[in-house]
Amino acid sequence: MNFSENNTTSANAAPIIELSHVDKHFGSLHVLKDISLTVKKGEVVVIIGPSGSGKSTLCRTINRLETIDSGEIRIDGTALPEEGKKLALLRSQVGMVFQSFNLFSHKTILDNVTIAPIDVLGKSKKEARAEAMDLLKRVGVDSQASKVPAQLSGGQQQRVAIARALAMHPKAILFDEPTSALDPEMIGEVLDVMTSLAKDGMTMVIVTHEMNFARRVADRIIFMDGGSILEENTPDEFFSHPQTKRAQDFLNSIQAH
Amino acid sequence: MKQTQSSIRDVLYEAPGPKARKRIAVITVLSLLALAALAVAVIRRFAQTGQLDARYWSIFTRYTTWRFLGYGLTGTMTAALTAGVITFFAGLLLMMGRISSCKVLRVLCTVLIEFSRGVPTLLFIYFFLLVVPQFGIRLPALWKVALPVAISACGVVAEVLRSGVNAVPKGQTEAALSLGMQRRSAFFKIIFPQALRYVIPALISELVIVLKDTTFAYIVNYSDLMQNARVLISNYDALLSVYLVTAVIYILINYALNKISVAVARRTQ
Repeated sequence: MNFSENNTTSANAAPIIELSHVDKHFGSLHVLKDISLTVKKGEVVVIIGPSGSGKSTLCRTINRLETIDSGEIRIDGTALPEEGKKLALLRSQVGMVFQSFNLFSHKTILDNVTIAPIDVLGKSKKEARAEAMDLLKRVGVDSQASKVPAQLSGGQQQRVAIARALAMHPKAILFDEPTSALDPEMIGEVLDVMTSLAKDGMTMVIVTHEMNFARRVADRIIFMDGGSILEENTPDEFFSHPQTKRAQDFLNSIQAH
Repeated sequence: MKQTQSSIRDVLYEAPGPKARKRIAVITVLSLLALAALAVAVIRRFAQTGQLDARYWSIFTRYTTWRFLGYGLTGTMTAALTAGVITFFAGLLLMMGRISSCKVLRVLCTVLIEFSRGVPTLLFIYFFLLVVPQFGIRLPALWKVALPVAISACGVVAEVLRSGVNAVPKGQTEAALSLGMQRRSAFFKIIFPQALRYVIPALISELVIVLKDTTFAYIVNYSDLMQNARVLISNYDALLSVYLVTAVIYILINYALNKISVAVARRTQ
């Protein structure tokens, strides 16, 4: 199954996500400092950095789960509205996968995937269900469709969360540390699904600590520390020749164990 | 004890050893004896004062007595259900105002909730009985009970519902919003159903309070179980027997409600 309209990752592809000069404070803490970032159609951008570097916050500003103090965010050319129906519409075009899965705990797996297409896109129940079953099959949890989230393993829940995001046919998907809450043996199954999404040409912004995965899947690595983007490079360049002292220290500390 | 139904008791106390088991047995026998002695004393006293005489109890062999109490019970149920439904929706509105992003609405609803929780039900009853008619509003007796009882209970229900909404993890809202659902849709389809599950036992406890509050009906001359019991008492001069039977009926209803609440809570967990 193909999840995106076309598979081009060429240099002149249209930008899907554009951040320009974004600043954000939590009280006196300056968490995002003059962030500018462009993600093109079909591109996979991986954001890495030490904890507290602002990478999750950056990810969450893109669909306005976090507000920003100044700067501008555009999704597929449209400035992110501040509220209301227009904001909801734009959010529906950007999927999000959370660290803690956040499946709707009172709904079955199937209903988790169908609720937004029915509620937001106005699809018929029948159509939404048929498509949801296809997506669940695609991520390998179709046999669990009638269960509730608590009956599934973490890895299964996260794959359902990915199917739930895909059901909205998003222009891009944001992954906020999607494997950080998983037992080690379940990380692989989630990364596999994400890898195949990337191959199908889905535009993705991924915050992760999985360096091997980042190296394999990313078109571009963003290294953040202290609320700023310190480096932006291809995975090969970044991992073999990190430019800044901070990135060198970070990579060393990871490889040390 | 079955392992599947671990209660708070299992958490607080370890399994008793031989000495503790002996002590528990002794205390059990002693308290049973004390209870039996108390029961005998009470019944003897009743016998001495003639409360056990057949004329006080024979009224319960008559169909008409039960039919009359049945009418009263219907009245109680009607009033309690009416008040219960009003309480729930008024509580829901107050809660939504209380968590609204509009400050004026928030303050207003906070004040209303505190007013509802702070004023005794009886005062609301007198308000509807004595003050409201002065404005030319004539309410049927049912509403003179149901409205004040509901007004008195809705503040608590609002706070119970709010505690449920607060207990739903923030990630549930974020997930709904990230899928493009609007705030109202996210609240009613995702947040509120989960909140309701958390607080169903507390809501049913509040329904029990509402049901008991409907006994104020006698003040406004509405025929509920209590009012009809009072009629029986004055007709037959049968104070003890009628009160006892009435109390048992109330206990049975409320016990059933509590059983339902436990069953519902277990089902939805």
